[in-house]
Amino acid sequence: MKLAAIWEFIAGDSRFAPAFVALAVAVAVVLLRNNVSSTVVAVTFAAVIAAGLACAVFERT
Amino acid sequence: MASAVEAVEALTIVLAVGVARSWPVALRGAAYALLVLAAIVAAFGPVLHLIPIDQLKLVVGVVLTLFGLAWLRKAILRYAGRKALRDEDAAFAREVSALRAAEDAQADRIGLVTSFKAVLIEGLEVAIIVVTFGAASSAALGWSAAGAAAAVLLVVLLGLALKQPASRVPENAMKFVVGIMLTSFGTFWTGEGLGIVWWGADLSRLLLAAFYLAVSAVLIAAARSRREVAA
Repeated sequence: MKLAAIWEFIAGDSRFAPAFVALAVAVAVVLLRNNVSSTVVAVTFAAVIAAGLACAVFERT
Repeated sequence: MASAVEAVEALTIVLAVGVARSWPVALRGAAYALLVLAAIVAAFGPVLHLIPIDQLKLVVGVVLTLFGLAWLRKAILRYAGRKALRDEDAAFAREVSALRAAEDAQADRIGLVTSFKAVLIEGLEVAIIVVTFGAASSAALGWSAAGAAAAVLLVVLLGLALKQPASRVPENAMKFVVGIMLTSFGTFWTGEGLGIVWWGADLSRLLLAAFYLAVSAVLIAAARSRREVAA
């Protein structure tokens, strides 16, 4: 099985959703390293993922 | 529930092969696929406990989030009318006519491969969900596997009783709920793996589910209105 097929199997055909998940992880790491409170990080983290869902819904595939 | 959705999809194909060709061919294909799946779960399930828990939560969380978002996106697009609702009757009819059109010997081979592929691919999704949800402990793996087995068994028994595609199961609604659950659990675990201390601990999973549900409702409405404007 090709890597691309495995990737599509897990993430579907959206490019935005995985990109926003990666962005959410990166933002959370930066915020946590700067001692931002966990609640703020949690809210930001979930909001970025939700933004990824929104972009994925209106994405042309 | 996630396992039941996958079982419905696999069952539709196996039933189509059984009806169009022969039941031994359909069941042999399904049995081979189940053997391969059992080997995959047996190989990867125990290995998970050797990985440090935070890294494991991070990896599992990201996979679940991606999985959940893909399901949720499809369900939202279907509710908004921007993607056709998956029609198990149509899938069933398509497989049946393709198999009836093929030559006898070739059709048996195609039937076997079709049944094998359907059970393997849908089963692989069940296996990923079982293994990831069961990653926390061996007890959790046991519960996760038992839940999946019960769901698959229920769908198979229903299918055998009906000998019809499971088109009456509200698949999109199930997919929507599962998408919300997978995304919420995935977000929670990824966050824990990164070091986020969730407010209210496990309670925050419910809050996350409510949050994604609200976001999805807004997105369905927005996608619908955009479709109406375009039309």
